[in-house]
Amino acid sequence: MSQVFHDIEKKIIASLKDNSKQTPETLEESTKLSPDQIRRGIEWLKLKDLAIVDESKKSVYSLGKNGIESLQKGLPERRLLDLLKDGPRNLSDLQKELGAVFGPAMGLSKKNNWIEAPSGQISLKNPPSEIPGEKILSQIGSGKVSERNIDKNDLLVLLKRPDFIIEDVIKTKEISLTDSAKSINLSESSGAIDVEAKVPEVFVARTHPLKDTIDEIREIFVTLGFSEIIGNITQSSFWNFDALFTPQDHPARELQDTFYLDGVMAKKIATPEQIRKVSASHKKNWRYYWDINEARKMVLRTHTTCVTIKHLAENKPDEARVFSLGRVFRNEKVSYKHLIEFNQIEGVVVGKNATLRDLMGIQREFYKRIGITKIKFWPTFFPYTEPSLQTMVYNERLGKWVELFGMGIFRPEVTKPLGITKPVLAWGGGIERIAMLKYDLDDVREFYNNNLSWLRSATKCQ
Amino acid sequence: MPVVELSYSRLQKLVGKVTKKQISDSLPFLGLDIESEDKDLVRIEYSPNRPDYSTDFGIALGLQGLLGIKTGAIKLNVKKSNKYSISIKFDVPKIRPFVTGIIAKNGKIDDKTIKQLMTMQEDLHFGIGRKRKKSSIGIHDLDEISFPLVYKTTNRNHKFIPLNSEKEISISEILKNTDVGKDYGAILGNSSKVPLILDANQQTVSFPPIINAAITTVTTKTKNLFVEVTGINKEDAEDMLSVVATVLQSAGFALESVKISGAKNSTPKLGEKKVPVSPELINQILGLNLNTSKIISALKKSRLDASTKGKDIICIVPSYRFDIFGPMDLVEEVALGYGIQNLEPTLSPSQTLGQTNPVSLQLKSLSQIMIGVGYLEALNSSLTSKRVLYDMTNRDTDKIISVLDSKSQEHTILRDSIFPGLLENLSRNIHEPYPQKLFETGTVFTLKNPISEKINFSGISAHQDANFTEIKSALQSALKTGFDIKIETKTATHPSFEEGHCASVIVDNNSIGMIGKVNSKIIENYKIRVPVVGFEISLSESILKSL
Repeated sequence: MSQVFHDIEKKIIASLKDNSKQTPETLEESTKLSPDQIRRGIEWLKLKDLAIVDESKKSVYSLGKNGIESLQKGLPERRLLDLLKDGPRNLSDLQKELGAVFGPAMGLSKKNNWIEAPSGQISLKNPPSEIPGEKILSQIGSGKVSERNIDKNDLLVLLKRPDFIIEDVIKTKEISLTDSAKSINLSESSGAIDVEAKVPEVFVARTHPLKDTIDEIREIFVTLGFSEIIGNITQSSFWNFDALFTPQDHPARELQDTFYLDGVMAKKIATPEQIRKVSASHKKNWRYYWDINEARKMVLRTHTTCVTIKHLAENKPDEARVFSLGRVFRNEKVSYKHLIEFNQIEGVVVGKNATLRDLMGIQREFYKRIGITKIKFWPTFFPYTEPSLQTMVYNERLGKWVELFGMGIFRPEVTKPLGITKPVLAWGGGIERIAMLKYDLDDVREFYNNNLSWLRSATKCQ
Repeated sequence: MPVVELSYSRLQKLVGKVTKKQISDSLPFLGLDIESEDKDLVRIEYSPNRPDYSTDFGIALGLQGLLGIKTGAIKLNVKKSNKYSISIKFDVPKIRPFVTGIIAKNGKIDDKTIKQLMTMQEDLHFGIGRKRKKSSIGIHDLDEISFPLVYKTTNRNHKFIPLNSEKEISISEILKNTDVGKDYGAILGNSSKVPLILDANQQTVSFPPIINAAITTVTTKTKNLFVEVTGINKEDAEDMLSVVATVLQSAGFALESVKISGAKNSTPKLGEKKVPVSPELINQILGLNLNTSKIISALKKSRLDASTKGKDIICIVPSYRFDIFGPMDLVEEVALGYGIQNLEPTLSPSQTLGQTNPVSLQLKSLSQIMIGVGYLEALNSSLTSKRVLYDMTNRDTDKIISVLDSKSQEHTILRDSIFPGLLENLSRNIHEPYPQKLFETGTVFTLKNPISEKINFSGISAHQDANFTEIKSALQSALKTGFDIKIETKTATHPSFEEGHCASVIVDNNSIGMIGKVNSKIIENYKIRVPVVGFEISLSESILKSL
């Protein structure tokens, strides 16, 4: 036979050749292998039809508290019969002498007609020579005895009585070699090992799959000439909404869609000029009373656009490509398609010659680089961009078009009050949606479950 | 986004010579998303800035333009009439000082039309009406009303039979006992006087913005309509009226004017506005090179009219298109008329060099190092719960930052620490093979001017032999390799860690976090059966380098 064996297998085979039937414990001793190695070795040999594993259950008995007492003093009923040997006795005297065991002793003796008790006086009637259970007590004695060596009927009598006998069920394994294994000549096998054998699994440490997607997207935009900016997650309503021409009475600003921080207001939200010009634009175009206290309310940002607009308002660049990437929040019911907290990328191009077609071109290039080539653009609406478009991408697995990034050119009502004079192309969208396409997930919650079986198995290079 | 349900066959009738497929292919290019289809029925999502798309009549107008069946602006033909008037004399409702209205005659009203008008009304109330607060509409059967009408105020004990009711009830009862009363009564505040429209016979027509009178209910037998809009400013009320007027005219009604007078009110003009736009701006923004006639034809496809005046194009915008603020909105109208599908994307070379933010770079490096140490990266929500953050870990709750009205109980509090989330992760993986080693970097929040955001770094290790030495080694090596920073640990106590197995992490004599063996009570609460050690440190102050 040209089989190769693992060292573990070799040691087990050799030991079984010397001693044909063994338990894992005796194998441990003879081979000096660890319990785990023995377990694996036996498993491998079994798979190759070289070892037989006999599993059996065996009961082992020892005496309980009442059993030990009876071994020393005799069974309760024996003690009663002994007291009556010399003639009838008074019930209350017997009770005193036997104590707690008096009741069971009387009951048993009466039932078996060993005694009679006409009137407070108790006397022997048909005393037996041997009481059932007496033999087993001495057989078990102070040690442990397996069922093979004892009287079964006798055992049953005492097993029924409380705390006389303790039964332990022990599972045993006996390992022996099959006939083909017996003929293996271990000295013939070389130093080779079984390279075809299964090996244990190692769980590699790795970055989170969603982080991988985020990093990939970040890198794509950096190579397209964009610089990353980072901003706060908590924002004043001014930058999250007002600066983006979303009126204060707009439905999107309500509690049911936006997370407001309980009792937290921003003191300084923007420069006096910014506040004056933004509020004037609101009053003129939306015709309502603009309230600065509404703008002070702190929210969990609903988009990262607040970070880019703030950056543009501070730097007023003539030419720029920046993006921001991070967590955003919506007060929604969590479901397989909605999270209350997710990641968004949002970027802008500022330039005097920037066009809507350029914006579409950047999108197309981005999708191409993440492996999506079937895309189209549809018009849509955002309060702060005009014109506005959305990208639709074809999901092969679902067989339908799904909406991805939204985009547009910042409205003059947004840029003018903040002193931004050149056209600003803006786009953005959720990253989880892209990661879901990548990892073939139908439930977006999986990204935040930290389910180790998924984290340990998701393929890194997609 | 609001949704409207339509029937393809009805749309085909309204649009003219067109197939079902042409309609479904064109809808997205009007900015209308098909949400679902079931044979003849189609549910369409439309943008809140286009309330005219809340009915099939309005959508048909858009489709006609895009498909080239009928182009150019929709003109409202309002016949001047002296028969109908509303006056506001002495008693101006302060809460709702403006009223306006129009008459629509000789229309055919079937069940479907009533349904369309109802959804339009609801959408107008919700969107531009801001839940009826800014403005609201009542649509009535004209033939049940005797003109002239007055718009005035009344006491809350005024009685009439409201819509969907059979008996007379008082305004207080309406506000207290009916659904609409409960939903919108707050708009009227505590004022003892509320708005009311009465007809020439002192009969109640409407109690704006809450409910109409039952007597003017519109049914399939109704032929002539009276529409009133009330509101807190004149322009918004007239904007809303213009949408209704346009839709009713498209539905086949003949419009007649209602004279409005008194207390700053006047008869609505419903006139078009002229917006100039330069072809240069259009071509520059869209990246096209269209001549003026092409631009004008695109605008007409978007149901606008335009003509040239010198170098500029003067665009005629009907009153119902109040979503058009200025020239940039016309650029979009040109793009839609031209066809978004006809815009070819271009990739212009970048004038700037890209750069990853240094903080992102450092966090990425730290991740790579932690993976080298054998830790798996976890990601948890930063909006979490009191249970995870404080109750399970025995931590103090004195400065909680919570959000208002969260729809999820598991997400109510901003985290001030990452470690509790990692512990929670372990508890959900007790059936998975050990050792389990996790780390996370992320933002934590504390109340300070008004909120301070810092980046924290936390790691956790759970297995049979997990111990303090192991976790200290891991943290020490990660910071040494990542940032060439040496840490010390000083005996400390912390409610989450075992006494005698807990230390603060010191860098340059400053404590930047905690490290230790997790308190056995916590492990027990979480039903974790192996020892757990972990750390959390702040990266913001002394570790991360900014630009």
